[in-house]
Amino acid sequence: MKEMLNELLMADKTLIHVPFGNGFFDIYKSVVVSWIVLAILIVMIVALTSNLKVHNISKRQAAVESAVLWIRGVVGELLGEEAIGYAPYIVTVLIFIAFSNMIGLIGLVPPTMDLNVTLALSLMSIVLVELAGIIKKGPKKWLKSFTEPMAVITFMNVLELFIRPLSLCMRLFGNILGATVIMELIKHVVPIILPAALSIYFDIFDGCIQAYVFCFLTSLYIKEAVE
Amino acid sequence: MSLTAIGAAIAAFTGIGAGIGISLATAKATDAVARQPEADGKIMRLLILGCALAEATAIYGFVVAIMIILFS
Repeated sequence: MKEMLNELLMADKTLIHVPFGNGFFDIYKSVVVSWIVLAILIVMIVALTSNLKVHNISKRQAAVESAVLWIRGVVGELLGEEAIGYAPYIVTVLIFIAFSNMIGLIGLVPPTMDLNVTLALSLMSIVLVELAGIIKKGPKKWLKSFTEPMAVITFMNVLELFIRPLSLCMRLFGNILGATVIMELIKHVVPIILPAALSIYFDIFDGCIQAYVFCFLTSLYIKEAVE
Repeated sequence: MSLTAIGAAIAAFTGIGAGIGISLATAKATDAVARQPEADGKIMRLLILGCALAEATAIYGFVVAIMIILFS
């Protein structure tokens, strides 16, 4: 058990050493895998959106249009009328997290299993949330909003600035790590058939749900910040 | 080693709280949908929010258990 956890968490994650100054600049495995995810996504985007027409559309364009409208409706409903301008960012993060969680299907290690990746995503979220508040209310009113509804509660509001990204990052990381650990255990016990059935739940369903939860919470915070 | 295993097992008991929380939330959501089927979109969103927050406690327990095993 301990060896497996060590292998998953403590192993040297460096894949490429780039000479930099008088040392090495390390590129982690998670970064390379997220490059692969990005490459897949870019190829999909180019293939799906090339050659769009106004009249006499192809089946592919009809499918893309209905998918885009559907996902925009889902995110727009979460964000509300005022913050609808943030929908493209939320959808981008949703698609990226969903694909990185599902990359385990082709045998790679999901980049979201690295704490650094989820930490970066949650820091981006909290910066966006606070920026949305500043843009909407102006710096003075934004600072004042920390003392609402009472002055006594200011400490809690400031603390929330750190708790929110920590909980976002830990939730995503813990879920993906937990799913991977359970899958490894099952592969040790029953090497055939059962892992394939369970990976439908742990890789596809859980990955999508966690991506949705991440974006749901981010858009909830944005909605709260611009009110 | 044996005491470490017991510590990790105690940390895994956080799952009880998360299980009770999620089951209560789901039960109430089912009730609400049965009463007002037209509001199921809103109820679904609130249910997912509640489940995500309740489930976070179990995740914290899991992270603590892994830390106990790794750093003991």
